[in-house]
Amino acid sequence: MDVNVPDARLMPATLAPPAAFSGRGRRFAWTLLLLAVAFGAVPAAIVGTGSSYLAQIAITTMIFVILSASLNHVTGTAGLLSIGHAAFYGIGAYAAALLSTRLGLPFIVTLPAAGLIAALFGFLVALPTMRLVSIYFAVATLGIGEMIYVVLLNWVDVTRGPMGIRGIPPISLFGWQADTLLSRYLAVAVIAVACVWVLHRLTHSYYGNALRALREDDQCADSMGINVERLKIESFVVATFFAGIAGALLAHTSAYIAPDNFRFMESILILAMVVVGGLGSLPGAVVGALFMIVLPEALRDIGDYRMIAVGATMFLSILLLPKGMLAEGTALGFVRRSFSRGWATIAGGTPVGWK
Amino acid sequence: MVFDVFFLQQVINGLSIGCVYALMAIGFTLIFGVLNVVNFAHGEVYTIGAFVGLMVITAMAPPLLAVVPLVLAVGAVSGVGLERIAFRPFRRFTDEASQKSRAMREATLLSSLAVSIVTREIMMHIFGGDMQGIPSGYLLQQPVAIGPIMVASGSLVIFATSAVMLGALQFLLYRTQTGLGIRAVSNNQLGARYVGINTDRTIVTTFAVGSMLGATAGILVGLYDGAISPHMGFAPGVKAFVAMVMGGLSSIPGAVACALLLGVSESIATEFLSSGWKDLITYSLLVITLVFFPQGLFGHGRERA
Repeated sequence: MDVNVPDARLMPATLAPPAAFSGRGRRFAWTLLLLAVAFGAVPAAIVGTGSSYLAQIAITTMIFVILSASLNHVTGTAGLLSIGHAAFYGIGAYAAALLSTRLGLPFIVTLPAAGLIAALFGFLVALPTMRLVSIYFAVATLGIGEMIYVVLLNWVDVTRGPMGIRGIPPISLFGWQADTLLSRYLAVAVIAVACVWVLHRLTHSYYGNALRALREDDQCADSMGINVERLKIESFVVATFFAGIAGALLAHTSAYIAPDNFRFMESILILAMVVVGGLGSLPGAVVGALFMIVLPEALRDIGDYRMIAVGATMFLSILLLPKGMLAEGTALGFVRRSFSRGWATIAGGTPVGWK
Repeated sequence: MVFDVFFLQQVINGLSIGCVYALMAIGFTLIFGVLNVVNFAHGEVYTIGAFVGLMVITAMAPPLLAVVPLVLAVGAVSGVGLERIAFRPFRRFTDEASQKSRAMREATLLSSLAVSIVTREIMMHIFGGDMQGIPSGYLLQQPVAIGPIMVASGSLVIFATSAVMLGALQFLLYRTQTGLGIRAVSNNQLGARYVGINTDRTIVTTFAVGSMLGATAGILVGLYDGAISPHMGFAPGVKAFVAMVMGGLSSIPGAVACALLLGVSESIATEFLSSGWKDLITYSLLVITLVFFPQGLFGHGRERA
């Protein structure tokens, strides 16, 4: 990792390189580029082609970007392998769907409510399971995920069981309704970008360093004064909150949800996105989500052989790049140089860590 | 009331399901023991066992006793192939940093998952996604009366086969050089290599043994239920995985006990609940077990990594 990039603003003015070449200039360049793709190129393509198919893929991708970024927060950064993430996605989706169809609440209420309800469930799940380590924790999340699925499927009075919930109103905000494909995409994209930004600030900070420390060795981190139990619970709750948000977006954009959207295989798909992108790397999680959503669509032409090709590509990508497309070390260096506000320095200008 | 005949029958049905879970859970346990990685493709081995059994039956109509060795052989071959494709390439990183890296461990887990997706889809292409019936001459559903209880002949066959296989496994693990190697590698892979054990070969053997058990479970269930499909391996795979973890990961008796417990509780649960809620019992048992026994029922304490 590049440790010799001092923060331009902490240097004496005479030493600071010109703004265009400094970390800040680059930071704006990357931020602008990403925003331009999300809010310029993709909407232009949707309008230009007028294809509802393209818009649908773009919306799905954005939702899965939230899911894989949030799973990366708990599994990649904090090291708690969760294989029940789709269940919290489901809780968020059902919370939003029920609140808006039964109680008629507006989107501005159902979106945060879905996140909070999922986070509440996440908290309740985290309390007893946090002392489990490694694979035991993973299996506990698998079990809880399947329990939630069974409840969604069988509690017919509330969830309508396998029939699912229909007629969920589209995203609307103070009278403005996202009823065209473009506006629906834009609304989802704004929320997705906001979620990724929050996760970016959480991961790429001292707080994120503490999470990485407990992932590497929680007993050691504990003895260094890090409140391991609390951090683990926090990271799990944060991840489930964002999964709930993603669920609410799914409910409001597709207008129909059913328990099968939130099965075990969906959790595994999200995990695959994180691992293919690079475990512990937030840019990797985003790239992985793009890859795993766009690839099956790009392979649509080969019809029945599509899933074989998807499995084979996934296998090859893991085989050739076992640490992911954007491995954690590379990704942290990249984020530091291009997005973060650089290094905190101690006297003498020695960089010590995130600001 | 407790000695209600119907209740007893449910327990026996549950035990036979539990035996199937146990056969699969042992495969999981053996493989997890030597590699410390969950083999997500184990359910596919089970499906392959069932389909190869069906193909042999429809093509040649051999006696039932001849089907079993064939399925065992196919299981061993698929286990070895699986190890070669999905696991061996990831052992090329031998430096300490890679071995401790969580990304590497999760990558191996997902490579087995990717292989299982490809295998399942290929089977879907060959056999179609629908249920396939087993020729009725081979079905193991004739009722057998034992006193007042009626038991399907399949249950008895499953009990007998499981008992034989468990006995053989005990013999293999505790009475042979190969078994000693397997136990040594699961205890400490590096240490086993230092004392001259060929760890690669031991791992391959473990996969072969575990997959033989899994494939046998597949054909037994096929004959017992009378229908097989490319998706049949998923549910028992997850249940067996759960049983392995409840039992404490490295303990074969623990895995077997928990598999039987899961099977019996599932089949009793269908008496009180509609079948949709049956899985809730399994997973509640899992979560309750883990809350009170964080290392599983028969697991040992946490080691320093």
